Amino acid sequence: MDILFLLIPLSVVLVLAILGGLWWAIERGQFEDIEIEGDRILRGD
Amino acid sequence: MQAALAPFSPAAALPRAPREEWQALDDPAEWPAFGHALDGGDAGTVRWESQVAVEGMHCAGCGLAVEAALLRVAGVLEVQVNAASQRARVVWSAAQTRPSRWFEACEAAGYRLVPAADSSARERRSRELRLALWRWLVSGFCMMQVMMYAYPAYIAQPGEMTPDAAQLLRWASWVLTLPVLFFSCGPFFRSAWRDLRHARIGMDVPVAFGIAIAFAVSTAATFDSAGALGHEVYFDSLTMFVFFLLTGRWLEARLRDRTAGSLEAVMNRLPDSIERLDAAGGWERVAVRRLAAGDVVRVRPGEAFPADGMLIDGGTSTDEALLTGESRPVARARGERVLAGSHNLSATVQVRIESVGEGTRFAQIVRLMESAALGKPRLARLADRIARPFLVLVLLSAGSAAAFWWPVDPGKALMVAVAVLIVTCPCALSLATPAAMLASAGALARGGVLTSNLQALEALASVDTVIFDKTGTLTGETPRLERVYCRQGLRPGDALEIGAALGAHSLHPGARALVNAWNAQFRSPPAWEVAQPAELAGLGLEGLLRRSGDAGGPARRVRLGSASHCNVAPLQVEAPQVHLSDEQGWIASFVLAEELRPDAAAAVAALQAEGVTVRLLSGDRDSAAREIAARAGIEFAQGGCTPEDKLEVLWRLQAEGRQVAMVGDGLNDGPSLARANASFAFGRAVPLSRARADFVVPGDALAAIPRTIAQARRTLRVVRQNLAWAAGYNALCVPLAVMGWLPAWLAGLGMAASSLVVVLNAARLAAPAAGRAVR
Repeated sequence: MDILFLLIPLSVVLVLAILGGLWWAIERGQFEDIEIEGDRILRGD
Repeated sequence: MQAALAPFSPAAALPRAPREEWQALDDPAEWPAFGHALDGGDAGTVRWESQVAVEGMHCAGCGLAVEAALLRVAGVLEVQVNAASQRARVVWSAAQTRPSRWFEACEAAGYRLVPAADSSARERRSRELRLALWRWLVSGFCMMQVMMYAYPAYIAQPGEMTPDAAQLLRWASWVLTLPVLFFSCGPFFRSAWRDLRHARIGMDVPVAFGIAIAFAVSTAATFDSAGALGHEVYFDSLTMFVFFLLTGRWLEARLRDRTAGSLEAVMNRLPDSIERLDAAGGWERVAVRRLAAGDVVRVRPGEAFPADGMLIDGGTSTDEALLTGESRPVARARGERVLAGSHNLSATVQVRIESVGEGTRFAQIVRLMESAALGKPRLARLADRIARPFLVLVLLSAGSAAAFWWPVDPGKALMVAVAVLIVTCPCALSLATPAAMLASAGALARGGVLTSNLQALEALASVDTVIFDKTGTLTGETPRLERVYCRQGLRPGDALEIGAALGAHSLHPGARALVNAWNAQFRSPPAWEVAQPAELAGLGLEGLLRRSGDAGGPARRVRLGSASHCNVAPLQVEAPQVHLSDEQGWIASFVLAEELRPDAAAAVAALQAEGVTVRLLSGDRDSAAREIAARAGIEFAQGGCTPEDKLEVLWRLQAEGRQVAMVGDGLNDGPSLARANASFAFGRAVPLSRARADFVVPGDALAAIPRTIAQARRTLRVVRQNLAWAAGYNALCVPLAVMGWLPAWLAGLGMAASSLVVVLNAARLAAPAAGRAVR
């Protein structure tokens, strides 16, 4: 059970890392305009 | 026009003049309103990025068509159309083109552009919404993980978990609660702090107290499990109710954002413009905000004076009701001053500008919309008055609940107080009315009805009589010229020429009909010069006419208008007619054909189905009014009404206890629109009545009237439901929490759910009332 003393702090670090990743995705505006990806195939360029 | 553009335009060889309405857009001073310069240097030559709203777009394919049309214009460098938001971003070079060119190119392709003056507000709101979404995500994610750490403590039998492991899990929960407390709960603490600093109690004060107490109790238990506050930790409850609260707030913000968006879009319009005398002695249309003191402008009847100034040519009467409350026309002679924001009623005049200020109509419309959005309806004010004592009561009952439970278990006592603080939902109470009204206003705006007064929704819901004006409301805007009778020796074309020359000085439908008929048949403007044109509201026009280019020639005093105004015998035909006369008597009579709008009968039927009495009041002849009324299915019609008669009828109906809505457009309707319980300005009305009406319908669909009334009734129903729900919820939940039967997490869920119910109930109003209004 000693491994818990490593795994639980590790899970805390993991949660914070995932939050960091999401922050990065939102800040870059990846969820701003989700329709444009669907339109892209209609464009010539 | 070339000369007018020259100072700003290095490319002087621009092709033909742009259409009048867009000319004002070519002024560099207008460009910052809907975009920004990409390079430094002279505004007239650099690249600009502009935001525009595109009308008439339905799909991604339309977006491509708009892009293609704009890119064909030389000087447009880059176009990006977003079909979902109906916006486009255009990068263009001021050295090569002007906005009017690409506005025109896009119109030719079938899509109308409007400068997006709301783009900065949209940008700001989308940033706020993004931050709110992020706060919500952080709290949700941390909540899930904290729940994981809390789970072992719930299922472990005594002795199964070592104290070390339990302590480790508490530590981990504590660490993951920190981002929730310091980041996600930021708005609660900030607004609570703001309220406390101003020594008042707001909606977020109990919530902030609840969060802070729950965190303090749990932190004390984590670090000092033998302390007075017990050894229970509540990190799971804390993160969970914060998550629920933020879910509610975020959905609320989304709905509000949609509404605010549709209200702001009203501000996207072409700049107000006015004709200014240029150096060469010609008239040039410029944006109102470009006017400077000393400029001379020409103001036509129905237009608003753009700035304070002095009349230097012609006399007129003005409507200053918006400024001074005086509802009768005020006569202004040459040399007298006129006020910005007042309307020119009777004659075309020239004004020398003395001061320019915030009185521009644009500023007025913005203020109008802002006051509509901010002005609290009566029911909302009532809720706000209740909310404050209610919040004090909540704080007191939380305190006494804690005091009651303290001897039993201090930790539990504090959590009971937290539950009381969290579960009460004064926000449901104070959101009940504005959420519903704003959702309705947003839905109406999307359907082409602009609400300039939210209060009026309440008044409109109880309306039982609708009074229509005839011309321009039930019938089309401009009648068609059907036949011309004229004096011996005069050709019909010559008579029409005189009529059109004088008629150009009025916005009255009869006068416009003559101008339209002339423009349809002949290419050049009428070869008459009109001096001192004056309009007598409800009667007709008068002016001194002289052949163009014949300064010394004889001048004729010509009248255009009703038979009595021209002092001639009316024609014995059942049709609207306009007469023309001079000193020698009758010149010509024009028979006009008025056509009922195609949806008039359906709209009247829909109103009657809703239990509304429909009446028709017209300035036109009684027989004409009755005939139109019969065709539209209206029982009560009265013709030959002066503006005073209309007011009189309105007063009589109101004295009988009826709630009257007035639908009108023309110059004659201003006072009655202001007097009615609720008013609509319909069609391409003159600005005068628009400024006064509670609702403005810029399109030409009469179905908008019954739809708006049905919507107002639904709105009031929803407001009542909301208030009942909010009151019932609080009455039930607060006692439960005081008894200690509500855990904190359930309290959070309850509060979030109760305000969501209110907002979602209001959101039902955002859906168009299809199929309800027209049965």
